[in-house]
Amino acid sequence: MRERIDHILSRVTEAIFEKLAFMFSFPEEGFEPEIEPSAAEPPVVTEVFFEGPFSGRLVMSLSPRLLPELAGNMLGADDNEATTPDQRYDALKELINVVCGNLLPEIAGKQAIFNVGTPKIIEPEGAAPAAEETLLGDTALLVEDEKCELRLYGIGGIPDRFFQTDSGADASDAF
Amino acid sequence: MEINVLVVDDSSVMRAMISKTMGLSGLPLGKIYQAANGQEGLEVLSGHWIDLIIVDINMPVMNGEEMIDRVRANPELKDISIIIISTEGSDARIDRLRRKGAAFIHKPFTPETIRDTVKDIMNLGGSDAGTD
Ligand SMILES: [Mg+2]
Repeated sequence: MRERIDHILSRVTEAIFEKLAFMFSFPEEGFEPEIEPSAAEPPVVTEVFFEGPFSGRLVMSLSPRLLPELAGNMLGADDNEATTPDQRYDALKELINVVCGNLLPEIAGKQAIFNVGTPKIIEPEGAAPAAEETLLGDTALLVEDEKCELRLYGIGGIPDRFFQTDSGADASDAF
Repeated sequence: MEINVLVVDDSSVMRAMISKTMGLSGLPLGKIYQAANGQEGLEVLSGHWIDLIIVDINMPVMNGEEMIDRVRANPELKDISIIIISTEGSDARIDRLRRKGAAFIHKPFTPETIRDTVKDIMNLGGSDAGTD
């Protein structure tokens, strides 16, 4: 069941933006994550791999316009524009690290043990699934009016128990 | 007493966040040293007097758990106070780390959590909880 994972992805990402960087976001209704990067303004894309009860990759694509505020807020800088490119990429990598670390126990439970790799900044094309990857969930948020998309890919066998809804509710009634 | 602190995290932004939070905490700080992984952390420890280590778990080169094991195995370093600040979400792994004599703070953290955990683990001004 995709709906449960999509919902967890939105909820965790919103919470981490707020707590780590004091940035506010909400799910963007009716806007589907795009797999094709827009040539006009390519997103900045970061990824992190993980291994555990299920293994895979979390990918975050966001507007480069979010980076000065992300880094500036995390650093408590007086002037967001004064942050360096290195600081901005480092802030983004730590953001996806914290999202991934908080996301996996929400999906698989607090007993599950995952090893999370080192986040990397990648080319926009890298947001699309590799041949061995299956899309487990995705979401699109507006963060401070800018686009931010997340995709969770699984690699290899995925135990069914992580992908069932708790309530058995009809997936179509989710927002 | 002034506390010399070593902050070990592979994210320079996270090291800066933690250092800044420590600076604003009102705690009696000496120097704050930084290292980007467990190996660099051990190098700082070999050359400087450190009272408190604040360490991430997920790091390349040498992760935080291995660094803690090396510190605890070294007769000259084994009693240093250690706080882990990590995204780790597994109860079993957090228990295992606590049994190595480290306090645990989950990322994302609040400044108050860091301040209170440092006070607690360093036995600083313990009786003012809840008075403001
Ligand atoms: Mg780390």
